[in-house]
Amino acid sequence: MVEVRLENIVKRFGETVALKGISLHINHGELFTLLGPSGCGKSTTLRIIAGLDYPTEGKVFFGDQDVTNLSSSDRGAVLVFQNYALWPHMSVFDNVAYGLRIRKLPKEEVEKRVKWALELVKLQGFEDRYPTQLSGGQQQRVAIARALVVEPKLLLLDEPLSNLDAKLRLEMRSEIRRIQRELGITVLYVTHDQEEAMAISDRIAVMNVGTVEQVGTPRGIYEHPKTEFVASFMGKTNVIPAKVTEREGDRVTVEFESFRLEGLTYSGEKDDVVIVIRPERISLHPVEDAITLEGTVDLVEYYGFFVEVIGVFGERRIIARTISTREVSGIRPTQPIKFYIRRDDILVLPKQL
Amino acid sequence: MKSNWNERLFGTPKFEPLVATSYLFPLLYLLFFLIIPVLAMLAIAFTYNGSLSLHWFREIFSFNSDYIKLPSTWSLFQSVKMPGTGETLYIIQGLDFGIVLNSIVVASVVTLLASLIGTIFAFLMARYTFPGKNLFRILLFIPLLVTPFVSAYVVQQIFSEYGVMSSILHALFGFRVRVDGLAGIALAQSITYYPIVYLNAYASFINIDPSLEEQAENLGSRGFHLFRTVTFPLALPGIAAGATLVFIFSLEDLAAPIVFHSNDLAKRIMSYQIFSKFLFGTGERSPLIAALAIVMLTLAIIAFLGIRKYVSLRQYAMLSKGGRWSPRVSKPRIGQALIIYLLLLPLLLFTITPQVGVVQLAFTEQHRVVTNVTDISASVAGLMYPTGPVANGTLVTPKGGWFFQGTVKGYSDSIGVINGSINGFFVGKVVVSGGKVSFLGNITYADFQGLASRYNGTIHTQMKGPLTGTGELLSDGTVNLTSTRFKATMFNIPAGKVSKFSFNYVKQMILTPDVRRYIVNSLLYSTVAVVLIVLLSITSSYATSRFKGALTPVLESIVILPMAVPGIVVAMGYFYFFHLVFPGTPLDPISPATFNPAYVLILAYSVRRLPFAARSVYAGLQQVHVSLEEASMNLGASRWKTVTGIVLPLISLNVFGGAMLSFVYAMSETSVGITLGSLNMAKAPITAFMKEVLLSAAGSINIAAALGVLLITVQIISIVLVNVITKQRYSFIGLS
Repeated sequence: MVEVRLENIVKRFGETVALKGISLHINHGELFTLLGPSGCGKSTTLRIIAGLDYPTEGKVFFGDQDVTNLSSSDRGAVLVFQNYALWPHMSVFDNVAYGLRIRKLPKEEVEKRVKWALELVKLQGFEDRYPTQLSGGQQQRVAIARALVVEPKLLLLDEPLSNLDAKLRLEMRSEIRRIQRELGITVLYVTHDQEEAMAISDRIAVMNVGTVEQVGTPRGIYEHPKTEFVASFMGKTNVIPAKVTEREGDRVTVEFESFRLEGLTYSGEKDDVVIVIRPERISLHPVEDAITLEGTVDLVEYYGFFVEVIGVFGERRIIARTISTREVSGIRPTQPIKFYIRRDDILVLPKQL
Repeated sequence: MKSNWNERLFGTPKFEPLVATSYLFPLLYLLFFLIIPVLAMLAIAFTYNGSLSLHWFREIFSFNSDYIKLPSTWSLFQSVKMPGTGETLYIIQGLDFGIVLNSIVVASVVTLLASLIGTIFAFLMARYTFPGKNLFRILLFIPLLVTPFVSAYVVQQIFSEYGVMSSILHALFGFRVRVDGLAGIALAQSITYYPIVYLNAYASFINIDPSLEEQAENLGSRGFHLFRTVTFPLALPGIAAGATLVFIFSLEDLAAPIVFHSNDLAKRIMSYQIFSKFLFGTGERSPLIAALAIVMLTLAIIAFLGIRKYVSLRQYAMLSKGGRWSPRVSKPRIGQALIIYLLLLPLLLFTITPQVGVVQLAFTEQHRVVTNVTDISASVAGLMYPTGPVANGTLVTPKGGWFFQGTVKGYSDSIGVINGSINGFFVGKVVVSGGKVSFLGNITYADFQGLASRYNGTIHTQMKGPLTGTGELLSDGTVNLTSTRFKATMFNIPAGKVSKFSFNYVKQMILTPDVRRYIVNSLLYSTVAVVLIVLLSITSSYATSRFKGALTPVLESIVILPMAVPGIVVAMGYFYFFHLVFPGTPLDPISPATFNPAYVLILAYSVRRLPFAARSVYAGLQQVHVSLEEASMNLGASRWKTVTGIVLPLISLNVFGGAMLSFVYAMSETSVGITLGSLNMAKAPITAFMKEVLLSAAGSINIAAALGVLLITVQIISIVLVNVITKQRYSFIGLS
């Protein structure tokens, strides 16, 4: 168990810059997630922490120890690969025992700890199977057991659920969370799935094109995104380009199309902004301290327990999400509609892209 | 971490001895045992009177020289009269464009023929299903078996004036044909090398995603249009790769020219010229021959680089798609079926005759059961002894006849060419006029002793038959027979052993100490070479497949380079290089007292056959995901432990397959074996002995054939082993 610090990590592959100076601090016993679209540099960051790649600039610390130049085999940061990387020529037992044998543990100790690890991932009795005889979920448990059995300082998980089907993914997600809590180890988790990240993480770092955009708790990031990218990446959201037309301290008036939204909060310098509104924060009924947008219904999409109403406001389409009630089922395209949004629920962020 | 020289060269951030060794061992090995020897030859070729000069190349590239010229005659065949019978014999031997152009013309013709035959069979096997397809499959496997020299010998025999082809033409049209010289070489090579195109083309056709053709059909393309616009262009890179290999192999081939060497035109080809001249006058180098070798090397390398460029430009993405699809096969229509059974099946049967012939030669004792032969056309030369003085006019010999003796030459379908001495009695009419004597009558009884080409051993028997001819009356009263025709019958030829199945030659091969030694030598050299090849291919493939240092492309190219360097060039380079660097040691070919071909041959085999194994090992490594290694190192294992514990077990089958392939081709290595290898026959390999048999008729062709069968056996065993153990299709030879 260890605290991990990255200081200004830059990674160049030839001409391309994969990481543009990343600094992160991961606490003891924390499940920390790197979240971002593919190509954002999250896997590279993970590999640098694992010692499988070396940074071009910057330093990696485990606690107070500078491990930047330490080889992967000497770091004790064990990685569970996206494809599990189980050795097909070894049985489950031999796969899990590998790291222990490298450490030259006595035979009885090896057997004891392999047994412990396989019990932890609920694979007792699978010792003699070969990886090809296991299902995807079982293979992944073996990979996790193989990593945990050596008592890593830090467990690294690279998109561990991406090769599993939807149901198994949910199961393994809580399983990973359970094991992490049980052992109290530090886990660094990499994923591109924001829902997964929010469900599992203590804290999340959202990454985009080689930089960290925001670090925070799942709730903090979802509800208070600091950038347009984070806002739009975390779940379905309405992002509307707009212009600040009046300022009074951090109270501003913002305009888009022919709509004028007064009394919003914004302290940025740029006048080119985006308005971010979560679909579920739009009401179809009048609410307090709200801004009202009048438009027409374009489309109603039925998702079972909720419904999305897509309204057109000038040229702009805005999505509202609401519980599917009998009342809502009466809404038809082309009929006029009003969206009510509390001022608190409207985020104004500097335009980024 | 700053990128440093280590990362730039080897692609690892820190110096890792194992990775550096993986790069440097194969690099230095090939540098010393391939590049530098060839450069040594270069140095000699570019030197004239002690200074740098293009003199020798100017000599080669001057028009109307021995090297480049127009043929003195443009007729594709000559007609001559057969000895004895006077039948017309057409000799097809090709046109003489000079040594350099002859090589290019032969290689081009061979490439064209081999590509045509190979592609047709590949398309047939990849796209059609028909009764007897399994028979085709089995038959198509046979031409892949390599038997240097003896297979070309069989082709030569089939196309000799007494061969099968000639006999058929003789029966139908009354004339005979011999394919010889450059034409013979081209024919033998086409039959030998077309399987290379076949395998590459077959793989290409099989690898075409059926949906690509289905889409074209769906859009209205059909039949030949579909083939021309979609199928063929997609398969072309594979076909072209195979064709290029054939071109290079034909260029460097020595076996066929040596088999046909009794024909003067067959010698006028680069490979034979280099072969026959660079070893003579040991110690004295021939810069002209070195220059010729460089011309050949340049041609091969241009072909090789051209195809690599072309194939890499057309690496269609579909080949990388791993999906298994069921290939498109259809039943042939009536017309196509006729072509398959009436044209392709006979063609296929024809192309397996070399292997069949080799087996037959090895297992057949060729004595024939002949008692009486009635169809001999012969001519007699010698002296006739009249019983008394003769005067002008017509006379009839006395009852006992005139005694004569001399030599007889002739031919019979059943016993072949006969040649021997004859003495006996002539009875008939004799016309004498001014010193000219003509005869019309019979030989009533004659004693014959001599040889017949289809009868093993000396025949001693009696002959008789009608005789006509003329002679000159000599001053001592005898008659010199000058032009005498004799339709003879032979009696009571002792029935030789039947032409029957026999293990005699195989037994001789094993029991003759000399021959056994060649086998042991070849096995030993090939085994040691394969050990080296395994080390070289594992290190080089590991380096090139895993690390992206600046040395990676260098190593990648240098490992496959031996494919493009003709064996005779390697032999010649070694000859100069080892003499220069290791004079007086067992490596020095010019020091007969100390030279031991073992070392040089092992080096040559390991270099020349490396690409076969390296390709297989590289393919294996590409199947092993890097994460399997990273997982191991991430868990604390060292690089060495990771390679030995994870990588090697996972690629062991590829290593095994590659090693077997290299072994098979090392056993049949020709160029270096028959040149440097035969400098000390006690240490020579199998192929050196086979060459001796065909070049100087030392030893029996049947024992050489038995060695061919041994090679076939080794090949079949390794194919079966590879199939059983790796469960993979045995890939013979390819280029990628």
